[in-house]
Amino acid sequence: MAAAVEHEWKKGSAELLILSLLEDQPRHGYEIGRLIAIRSGGTLHFHVASLYPLLYRLEKRGWIEGRWVEKANQRRRRYYRLTTEGGRVLAAKRQKWQEFAGAVGRIAGVEHA
Amino acid sequence: MLEWKLEIRKRLAGSNLKPEREAAILDEVSDHLQDRYDELRVQGATHEEAFRDVIRELDWTDLVSELQPCKEIPPHDPVPEGAPASGRLISDFLMDLRYAARTLRKSPGFTAVVVLTLALGIGANTAVFTVINTLLLNPLPVEKISHLAALNTTQTKKTAQSGDLQDLSFQNLKDLRERTHAFTSLAGHSNPMAVTMIDKAEPHRIFMELVTANYFETLGIRPYLGRFFSPEEDAKPGAAAVTVLGYSAWQSRFGGVSDIVGRTIKLNGTPFTVVGIGPKDFKGLYAVFGPDLWVPSMMAGQVLPSSLQQALTDRATPLFTGIGRFGAGVTVAEAQAEMKIAAAALEDEHPDANQGQSIVVRPLTVAAYGPERQGLMFGAAFLMAIVVLVLLIACSNVANLLLARAAVRRQEIAVRIALGAGRSRLIRQLLTESVLLGLLGGVFGFLFGYAGCRLLSSLRPAEYAQNLADLRIDPAVFGFAFAIAILTGLIFGIVPALRSSRTSVSEVLKEETRTAGRTRGRLNLANALLAGQVSVSLVLLVVAAMFLRSIQHEYTIDPGYQTGHLALFMLYPGQAGYDQTRTEQFYKQARDRVSGVPGIVSISWASNLPLWGRKETGVLIAGQEQRKKSEAISAVVNTIDLDYFSTLDVPFVKGRDFTQDDRDSSAPVAIINDAMAAEFWPNQDALGKRVQLPRGKDFLQIVGIVKTSNYQTLGEPPQSSIYLPLRQHFLDGMILYVRTEQDPSTILASVQSEIHNIDPELAVEDIRTGTKIIDQALWWSKIAVDLLGVFGLVALGLASVGLYGIMAYSVNHRRREIGVRMALGAGQANVWFLVLRQGMTLVLTGLAIGVALALLVGHALSRFLYGVSGSDPLSLGGASLVLLVVALVACYLPARNASRVDPLVALRDA
Repeated sequence: MAAAVEHEWKKGSAELLILSLLEDQPRHGYEIGRLIAIRSGGTLHFHVASLYPLLYRLEKRGWIEGRWVEKANQRRRRYYRLTTEGGRVLAAKRQKWQEFAGAVGRIAGVEHA
Repeated sequence: MLEWKLEIRKRLAGSNLKPEREAAILDEVSDHLQDRYDELRVQGATHEEAFRDVIRELDWTDLVSELQPCKEIPPHDPVPEGAPASGRLISDFLMDLRYAARTLRKSPGFTAVVVLTLALGIGANTAVFTVINTLLLNPLPVEKISHLAALNTTQTKKTAQSGDLQDLSFQNLKDLRERTHAFTSLAGHSNPMAVTMIDKAEPHRIFMELVTANYFETLGIRPYLGRFFSPEEDAKPGAAAVTVLGYSAWQSRFGGVSDIVGRTIKLNGTPFTVVGIGPKDFKGLYAVFGPDLWVPSMMAGQVLPSSLQQALTDRATPLFTGIGRFGAGVTVAEAQAEMKIAAAALEDEHPDANQGQSIVVRPLTVAAYGPERQGLMFGAAFLMAIVVLVLLIACSNVANLLLARAAVRRQEIAVRIALGAGRSRLIRQLLTESVLLGLLGGVFGFLFGYAGCRLLSSLRPAEYAQNLADLRIDPAVFGFAFAIAILTGLIFGIVPALRSSRTSVSEVLKEETRTAGRTRGRLNLANALLAGQVSVSLVLLVVAAMFLRSIQHEYTIDPGYQTGHLALFMLYPGQAGYDQTRTEQFYKQARDRVSGVPGIVSISWASNLPLWGRKETGVLIAGQEQRKKSEAISAVVNTIDLDYFSTLDVPFVKGRDFTQDDRDSSAPVAIINDAMAAEFWPNQDALGKRVQLPRGKDFLQIVGIVKTSNYQTLGEPPQSSIYLPLRQHFLDGMILYVRTEQDPSTILASVQSEIHNIDPELAVEDIRTGTKIIDQALWWSKIAVDLLGVFGLVALGLASVGLYGIMAYSVNHRRREIGVRMALGAGQANVWFLVLRQGMTLVLTGLAIGVALALLVGHALSRFLYGVSGSDPLSLGGASLVLLVVALVACYLPARNASRVDPLVALRDA
């Protein structure tokens, strides 16, 4: 039971991470994985096997949209961009996360930046 | 790239994904793995280390269950970088257009054939539409034509003979103008009438219309230059010698000189001042034939022939067509009701002139075509139907070409579907291509149509060209060509596009380019289209042949007089200011001098041109009870001089010709034709009986009976005719009939110069030979036959190209089969027979349908044919034969190619 809650919680934060990364510009899967690793200083790492099913699920829900793009002198890649619906979800998730992190911080006595 | 896909696919086993979806995932994830691998290698890992790490990341335990909810994501097409996510329709369209242009450029031969085929079809349609647009849809450049009506006199009791509309007399028109409330403005114009114009001492015959001063204002048109008539200029008879010149007369007769306004020209001897130029496209209200200039109605005395001198004062002389503009909210029916009452009042007040007459109001859109309206409408509908058929043949031809090409492009299309192109997307792309072809065809078609119109214009008889309607290429014509270009693009594109988009990826990608199978359905459709083409072209050819035979028959019609050695000169001494004595002197002088010209057999004067007979209604017969107005007797009346019948070779049935002794002082006499004698004196001798002309004072004694000839149209049913001696019935304009020994065209110039020697101010412009009269009478039929012939040939050409194309395509497809047959011992003759049988079965099917259709069409057209039945076996047989021969040639070439197939090569290739 506890494991299931943690799984859901992790999944929820992963969705937030991906949506945030797509907020500014469309990115392809590898780039998303790399950015999560780099920006978290290596703390967070997504395996291919978890990243892509997650992307497909977000796409299925209509939060992001993927399309194949051809750039000169490059392989064609599948770029994902945030949909309008995704933008709304992102805003809601951000707010929830803030409330959640604040609550945890107040209880655990960790100062929240 | 390493074997990532293999590894991923292993782990996807059991996921039950759709193949396209799986392919997309494989692509995307293997990209990712490759990127990761490259990165690890750059960081210094060996191949084995990097590969192991990457594969470890592919620890895909949950994958299948994770993917279950994501199965259905629709695939997206690749788009170029920077393509906006929204507005995809437009960007897709532009991309399709670029792609289509590239595809068409890659096969210039195919493109050229298609564009040319379509251009022929669209060009024919554009040309015919231009004619219809000019004459029928938008005939007169006047303001709000729907608010204008034409007024004419009609007989209250309509019989077959007197149902024709007549003009209003000036006096009646004047009274109607004062009494009407339905029309805010009521004007009048005469028919175009010939006058002699002298400009720089050169006489010319031109056409003039008398109009009331409010004519132009009623129509709501503005002068191109100068002004129109003022009310004062049309108030007193003979007061203002002014004229408005038509635009095209100004261009053709005066070279469009800018100082034309204020210039003086002589009309029938009276100097007139040009005060204005009419609007550019305006040639009077008769849509087909218009005047060169307009003159105020009060100048009638100066420009009309002596027989019409009383036109302004005599209530019984018809001269004007009334033109009225409806008041606000007034309908044709209301105006008609008002005019009926007004006409009844006029009948009461002036029974002598108006008995049995009423007034009919017709919308100007109807009146503008005169008596030819029905014929014009029918001709227009008929021609339009024919060119639409030609266009359909062109479309089905192109559809066949596209179907054949689709076979070649199956692989390309399969690849595109495999890459994720949706069906609707593909159809859109293919349709973009065919619409582009249609538009290219439209551009050339428009040019063809323009050239066709120029050609049609140049076919107008030169002497009247500027009086006949000009074909106008206006925005409507342009819009029409554009619309049918797009429409044809869609018509011929839709079926091939639908078929192509149904291509099955796996089947096509597995098969090689050239296979015999799986083409049956495509060929069936193509065959049906082709058989249809053959039948439609046969119908067109048969119709053309029937009309050609009909006109040949018309040429052999005996009009009842000789035309081969005849020359005619129209002379109007009255228009040069001659009085009666001087005119009579001129008639005698001209006879004497012209008969001295070598090569002339005999000579005479007559008032009627052959086939332009003037009919008069209200002939009285002495001793027979007076008939009601509605049953009045009509006869063609012709005033003639001595030797008329011998000059024209019209034989006498009985009695004598006019002689020197039939003069003013002697007893009035007449000659009639045998049709009249048979109708009114059956079983009696008409000689010695007496008749009276309408408005005539005396009874005339019949002294001779001649054979009936054609007076108004070739091959007309016999009609009554009365001939009067010139010496008893003076006219101030006559036609000189000259019978020659040889070809009459050789003496035209010498006769002209003899007349010029008598008086250089006399116009002898309208000179014709007898055969030319016949030509002119058959001019419309000839144009129609020419057009039909051209369209029939175009249809035949298109159908044979289509046949050739489809046979060549089919032979190419059957190469392997043919190779096998030859390898198994089939000879060249067998192969020949095989291919010919296939092609000719198709042609014969089309031919059978075509014959049935042609019989139906022929039946419908039979009343327009002369001397040919609607099921004319010669036309049917001839057209079928021509079509068969052309079809044989079209099949022969592919059959020859087939028989030259080398079995070894064919089998190896396949």
